Amino acid sequence: MSAFDLLLGLAAVGVAYAWVFGRHARCGWIITLVYAIQFGVLLSMGGLAYSGRTPVAASFGFQFLGQSLHWRLDAVGWFFALITLGVALLASGFMAGEWGRTWRARGGSLRGLHLALALNVFAMLVLLASGDLLSLFIGWELVSWASYLLMALDGVRARDAALRYLTYALAGAMAILAGIVLLWVEGGDLAFDAVARLLPGLPDGRLWLLVLLFASGFGIKMGLLPFHLWQPKAYALTPGPGAAFLGAISSRMGLFALLVVVIRLFGLDRLAGLSVPFGLFSARDLLAWVGVLTIVLPTFTALRQQDARRLLAWHGVGQTGYMLLGVAVGSDLASAGGLMHVFNHASYQALLFLVVAGILHRTGTTDLNRLGGLVARMPLSFFLMLVGIIGLAGLPPMNGFVSKWMIYRALIDAGSPLLFIGAVIGTLGTILSVYKLLHNCFLGQLRLEHQDIEELRWTQLVPMLLLAGVVFVTGWFPGLVLDWVGAAQAALGLPVLAHTLGGVARAHGGLDMIWLVGVLLGGFGVGALVFLLGGRARRVHPLDNYAGGHFLDSHTRYQYSDDFYAGLMHRIGPWYRGLFQRGEEALVAWVDLLSLAMQGLYRQARPALWLVAALVVSLSWVLGAA
Amino acid sequence: MNDRVQSPGERVTRTNPLAHVFDELSRFCRSRSLFILHYCTGCGAIELPPAMTSRFDMERLGIQPMVTPRQADILLVTGYVSVKTLKRILLTYEQMAAPKYVIGICSCTVNGGMYWQSYATAKVLKAYLPVDLYIAGCMPRPEAVITGMRALMDDIAAGRAESWKRYYTHYDHYLGNQQALFGENWQTPTDVLAEARHYGLLGERSEGEHTALLERHQQPLEPLTMRLRAPAGGEEKA
Repeated sequence: MSAFDLLLGLAAVGVAYAWVFGRHARCGWIITLVYAIQFGVLLSMGGLAYSGRTPVAASFGFQFLGQSLHWRLDAVGWFFALITLGVALLASGFMAGEWGRTWRARGGSLRGLHLALALNVFAMLVLLASGDLLSLFIGWELVSWASYLLMALDGVRARDAALRYLTYALAGAMAILAGIVLLWVEGGDLAFDAVARLLPGLPDGRLWLLVLLFASGFGIKMGLLPFHLWQPKAYALTPGPGAAFLGAISSRMGLFALLVVVIRLFGLDRLAGLSVPFGLFSARDLLAWVGVLTIVLPTFTALRQQDARRLLAWHGVGQTGYMLLGVAVGSDLASAGGLMHVFNHASYQALLFLVVAGILHRTGTTDLNRLGGLVARMPLSFFLMLVGIIGLAGLPPMNGFVSKWMIYRALIDAGSPLLFIGAVIGTLGTILSVYKLLHNCFLGQLRLEHQDIEELRWTQLVPMLLLAGVVFVTGWFPGLVLDWVGAAQAALGLPVLAHTLGGVARAHGGLDMIWLVGVLLGGFGVGALVFLLGGRARRVHPLDNYAGGHFLDSHTRYQYSDDFYAGLMHRIGPWYRGLFQRGEEALVAWVDLLSLAMQGLYRQARPALWLVAALVVSLSWVLGAA
Repeated sequence: MNDRVQSPGERVTRTNPLAHVFDELSRFCRSRSLFILHYCTGCGAIELPPAMTSRFDMERLGIQPMVTPRQADILLVTGYVSVKTLKRILLTYEQMAAPKYVIGICSCTVNGGMYWQSYATAKVLKAYLPVDLYIAGCMPRPEAVITGMRALMDDIAAGRAESWKRYYTHYDHYLGNQQALFGENWQTPTDVLAEARHYGLLGERSEGEHTALLERHQQPLEPLTMRLRAPAGGEEKA
């Protein structure tokens, strides 16, 4: 029995336990313990990440239609599994205590939540360890359905959003299945190495078709433009810890599959060689530009959101673009940045979703126009959100800065100024909208109805503090993560980045976060000394405030957060056209019309006659073809 | 914490031989960096845009507009002061940090000007708060405004612009005039006597019958503290 068998067995134990004992009061803690043991088992395989160890194979597998299906965990899968289990552990810890009790008291199904989370972890482990295209497809379907379960837990609106996701996911799965069938027709063998041998010999047209099928199939799960519409609503309506899990890692499964199939099997050089008119635009450019558009448009959509959970979910879509962009550029620095961004994004996105879940838990709302001033009542949560948004905005000293710096630097090195500008514009939008998030939740005027709320309990704070610790420590010592990233690069056949503990050492401008963060903290230290020794600070009541000389009382709204960035929106507001939304609606309308027509045809005429006609036509086609 | 604002007028034993040099330096610097609060009343405000912008350019003297009273040095009262406006002026004046200077622009601030018959106008500004300087005229041109500013700068550099201390040392007098105008329930969020104590300016004429009246009516605003747990009452409600 290999370590991977043990891991998968433990995940199955978690699912079974949640199924049977899900209503038990201590269930949450025991499942958290099971996740912790799984995490330990995964860490014991830690050697995977270093020095090209062989993958850990599963001892089971079977034959199907002459294909041998098998599972094994290599360095890429290990890297993604590490994030999956880490986030699942902390999310489960978050909901095991007071959050879960309140959720159940409000009528939510805690058993359903635990079960869906455990199923997700199990399905993701199956997917991450897939050893050929067929086992990849099995894992893919499991992950899709498990995500649906997690999304559909919280009321009618959530179920609608989850159904919308399912429609997209099924379309994506069909595209992937079509790609797999095409490969099977061409080569008759679906093992990864057989496909890798087959692909270079295929004609360009066939390769284009395969790239488009696989990339759009996997891209739907990632939420790449133009297939992103399902994601924000579905994630925003998932209950707090579930949203943290989904936002952190679930849609990264699409990136994983894209890496394993499109990047590893096709190869970036072959993609760059696939070009349309006169070699101006290649399949690789297509991926990079889809990445940039996925950065810019959803990020600026996030800027307009009035709900904290939606804002974060839109950023989840936008940040995926950085990962794809980095991997599509494909140099050692860029792909390391893209892969590291998966880890970084998971850490701060889970943190931010948990903080927002905490706000929802305490105040009952995530409407950004109905919050404010909570820093006086939830100071630790404020600090945690601050850490998270610095990471999300990609500013030092947090880890988001490191991966984004690598991607920017690689884009400059690769001579792609337009992609670079797109990435930077996306970061600008991120900074603006995360400031809005922090400001509208925690700063400004404390509302009357929130005068008596409390800080979260330690069962909720500890997982968030651990995540914040990860965000800061891996920002200070990015080499810790870059070790794993390097191993994943090697397993994907990408050039491996030479790195140091503090970042990247290069002749022309490297990055040493140890020094950078040290200098930054030193600067803060000087400021803190002046503040503390100066002794000039004086606390005043918020109502002892200047409002053009107006006398303020507690019923006066002296600070407004509604219509944030009104000036900016005056300029760029008309650019928001809702094009994708309207495109989706048009598609839905056409499908509706078509199905209505079919239904009418079938119902009004004699069905038996139509069946006979269809049978005759198809039989004559089959016989004629033979 | 002893961070009293020093001035030559005070009889404090000072051991540092360079103390007066530092005082001189800080007064010089202070006079070259003045922030005017963006708060204007009446018609004299119309003379400030030309005084601030490129033609007369007050900024070459180090004078700039500032949006909050906490960071501002100068309170301009630029025209007639109605009773309602005077309340706002006092609120804002008390929110400013010392040292602070008040300039009355236009004749209305001196004696009510053309509004001297009005029942709703406070005629003599300096009865309610100490005024450093009047710039008379109806209205004074930007040259006159700038000349007044220069005079204030000279006063500050020479240590003569000390009227803000008078508000603390003679608080009872000013408060009495305010109460006479606004009624005995008059109060502002600022605890002026505590500030007077902080600056070491609490004198025998700071307190009196008017401050005693104020204390009877006052409902103090407690600073908002950060806390992790709701008070017991809040938990019962939840």
